[in-house]
Amino acid sequence: MQIFIGFIMLYILANALVLGFTLGTIITRQFPGQDAIEIFCGFILYYFSFDIIMRFMLQDLPTLAVQPYLIQNIKRKTLVSFLNVRSLFTIFNLLPLVLFIPFAATNIAQQYGSIQAMLFIWSVVTLCIGNHFLVLFIKRKTFVSSWWMVGFFVLVIGFITADYADIFSMRKVSTAIFLFLLQHSWLVILALFWAFLSFFCNYFFLRRSLYLEDDAKSSGTNRISGYSWLERFGIVGDLMSVDIKMMLRNKRPGYILLLSCFFILYGFIMYKPQAIDKNEFGLIMTGAIFITGIFIVNYGQFLFAWQSAHFDGMMTTDISIKEYIKSKISLMIGICTITFLISLCYGFVSWKIIPVEMAAYLFNIGIHTVLVCLIATRNYKGLDISKKAAFNFQGVNATQWVYMLAIVLISLIFYLPFALFINVWAGILSMSFFGIIFLLLHNWWVDVIVGQFKKNKYKILSGFREK
Amino acid sequence: MSDNLKRINTKSSPGSEKNKMMVAIDTLIKKYNGQIAVSIDQLDIKQGDLIGIVGNNGAGKTTLFRLLLDLTKADHGKVFLKDKNVADSEEWKSYTAAYLDEGFLITYLTPYEYFYFVGKLHNMTKASVDEYLKQFDLFFEGALKNNKYIRDLSKGNQFKVGIAACLLQHPELLILDEPFANLDPSSQIRLMNMLKGLNEKKRMTILISSHDLNHITDLCRRILLMEKGFIIRDLQSDSETLKELEAYFKV
Repeated sequence: MQIFIGFIMLYILANALVLGFTLGTIITRQFPGQDAIEIFCGFILYYFSFDIIMRFMLQDLPTLAVQPYLIQNIKRKTLVSFLNVRSLFTIFNLLPLVLFIPFAATNIAQQYGSIQAMLFIWSVVTLCIGNHFLVLFIKRKTFVSSWWMVGFFVLVIGFITADYADIFSMRKVSTAIFLFLLQHSWLVILALFWAFLSFFCNYFFLRRSLYLEDDAKSSGTNRISGYSWLERFGIVGDLMSVDIKMMLRNKRPGYILLLSCFFILYGFIMYKPQAIDKNEFGLIMTGAIFITGIFIVNYGQFLFAWQSAHFDGMMTTDISIKEYIKSKISLMIGICTITFLISLCYGFVSWKIIPVEMAAYLFNIGIHTVLVCLIATRNYKGLDISKKAAFNFQGVNATQWVYMLAIVLISLIFYLPFALFINVWAGILSMSFFGIIFLLLHNWWVDVIVGQFKKNKYKILSGFREK
Repeated sequence: MSDNLKRINTKSSPGSEKNKMMVAIDTLIKKYNGQIAVSIDQLDIKQGDLIGIVGNNGAGKTTLFRLLLDLTKADHGKVFLKDKNVADSEEWKSYTAAYLDEGFLITYLTPYEYFYFVGKLHNMTKASVDEYLKQFDLFFEGALKNNKYIRDLSKGNQFKVGIAACLLQHPELLILDEPFANLDPSSQIRLMNMLKGLNEKKRMTILISSHDLNHITDLCRRILLMEKGFIIRDLQSDSETLKELEAYFKV
């Protein structure tokens, strides 16, 4: 899996490199008659904004490994410096280098001379490093929750819209700042100052707080939140409320909830108006399945593994396996229904999206849920749900990728024959129809899943215990 | 040795209604990578027994517990709880409670959320859970007051939560793996008295393992000594038992 992540990183870097070299050409083609550097400078602030968001979500704190070193004969200063310097080695700090250097080396160097270009690179990169330590500092302080970042994200989106609508232009601000920076190169000192400031903030904060208890207090106390409406559903409802708490109180499953929300936006890319007008629903259907069912995909593939830490307990408490499986399916159907209802807003784009999403939704709750449960009975790898969420591939293996492909293919089996030989509406109807049939047969399917589960129970248990 | 075996064998004759067997093991073998982890020919535990299992690390105590709870698959043989094979039915879950390690706790809940959850599974209302937990006030010493998640509690307190959740289920069979290991001395003594009381008053069948020979001989009337997966001695506890065990472990 490390190799796989490595490949992804390389791919991103290669893309950035190509982009960096072609940036000048792209800009002149997109904005003919304007100064490329001016345009370029206009986007830097946006880059920084997204840089901060991405870093906040994807970059992890290099604190966890300290514990064993604290009692060794290593100076505190050295440890803190080590932590800070080690944190620098991340793709986010490499990205601006490969993106900005080629552009600066070609366009800026031509127009302003190589020394200016060099200083420009310096200031941009130091600003990035400033961002780097700022995000680390914010994350260490933990007073900023992910929801603040969502707010920040919305704010940035707001600025972009304002830019489009010519109400307020962040680009002009950005252009002004960075052109000024370009013309007055000595200002690189300011950027350096910013980087050092954020570095030392981190440094002193860490020096003060490099104790074990600070490491441990991460999760804090909680507000009791009952889900009394769930209790009406008996044991199945209780199990669901435990699962919901699991998602809200642990990093990795929580991320999945967040992802399900973000994924609804995916429709802006997948639902292409041209395709809808021409009634070409193939790709749109696949999109709709993932938009309404992304929760099932992400949650379902580790269905039991989420509880791997206390699976021994789950298997000895007085819950029948049937009820346990039912609670899982009910939860997936519940959240899938919520995402479906929200994504219905795309109906404003075109009414045709509604039947497509309806079919995708029925497929998801009828067929997808069953499939994912069957696959989960063959997943013997445990998860540590408290670990960071993004780019965490623990417990992921080839099965998961095959599964994603299988979902697409299986959905096409229910859709394509009718869509090709009769028409798209027949395809949509057949998919809805099979979804409902499966849904009605769920009781029988649950028995099948329970059978499979019992067969693999010991393997799952011993796999989860290993970690 | 042969004397002990005879005693085990005589016990294996089918029990009358009065002396119903809580646990019965029949030619149970569990291997890990070809190495024997547990190998028990025959073992019967009567209802109302209080049994201690001792043995060095790797003797197979925890594996035996896992086999009793159907958490690992036996390579050979069967485990019966109340004459029903644990692998074939789920009935035993309704009268069995166990705490082997943190793997039995839902650690992202607060202790009370967890108690209510467990209570609900046994048809207890929140009020009756609260009422029942009152008797543990002394045992917990206020450790649960501040609504921390279970994952943030100390090991000892996690263990207390585990035990309280077990007792909340009013089990007929209670299985605890090294219950004294993480407790402070006062809590150890309280736990001893609690287990004694439950065993005497409610005829609760209790199985515990421990490395503390004093506790075990003090508490249990029957002691099983395990070595490399085998039960090598099956002792009825008396004044000589402690010495006998100490002599064994001295080697």
